[in-house]
Amino acid sequence: MGRTPGMTLIVKTVVRLIVWLIFLYGIYIILHGHLSPGGGFGGGVVLALGFLCVLLAYGRAFIAEWLPLPFLRRLDYSSLMLFLAAGLMGMAAGGAFLRNVLAKGHLFSLFSAGLIPILNILIGIKVGLSLFFAVLALAEFDPEKGAEE
Amino acid sequence: MTLYVLCFALFLVGLYGILTKRDLVKIILASGIMGYAANLLIVLIGYRRDAVYPILEPGKEAAVMVDPLPQALVLTSIVIELGITALLVALALRLYQKNKTFDISKTRRLAG
Repeated sequence: MGRTPGMTLIVKTVVRLIVWLIFLYGIYIILHGHLSPGGGFGGGVVLALGFLCVLLAYGRAFIAEWLPLPFLRRLDYSSLMLFLAAGLMGMAAGGAFLRNVLAKGHLFSLFSAGLIPILNILIGIKVGLSLFFAVLALAEFDPEKGAEE
Repeated sequence: MTLYVLCFALFLVGLYGILTKRDLVKIILASGIMGYAANLLIVLIGYRRDAVYPILEPGKEAAVMVDPLPQALVLTSIVIELGITALLVALALRLYQKNKTFDISKTRRLAG
């Protein structure tokens, strides 16, 4: 076989079908973090593994044109600042850091628990993207030329 | 008690791998095994026999539950382990760039 980027056609087809299910599962775990086991970190890791499937199956060049990498980097950084802002919101309302300022809602409903789902979503974005970028940086490392960024 | 001893045996497996293996990738995997053994021990400390999981659900009776604190602690521990593994992989890549091998017995001239 020639040096086509990525893996064989079988792997590519399976990944193309399954990667959206992986993303869906990660988003489900993030959104239900305040109701069931899971949350921002676990769901974020699932999202990163979805990106990683595409990276392994299709190669780095496809990732660079499929994903808006500069935008995702900014999203990665800004999610951290938004988390800080959500924490300072509690202090602005006259309480401690990360104090709940939103309505708590009904127990066991999806839109409940005040600030916690928002923080879960931010952590999910942060963990998923930064883990993916860490693996991408390791994959782009060229032993001949050294690190380039 | 048996479970704690088995946990310690798993830790020793990782330590054996770190001390005896020459391949850097195997050393990184062995350090991961050591971390898993430590996490397993922390979770086992909070375990209680015939207890339920510490999650509130609609229609669930209040009962004796396992200790949720070690589980939350282990989540943090897993995150730190992930960072350590990424750091080790980056260092291994640097060593490969310098020596063209992952064999630590062929690693020379570490200074400079």
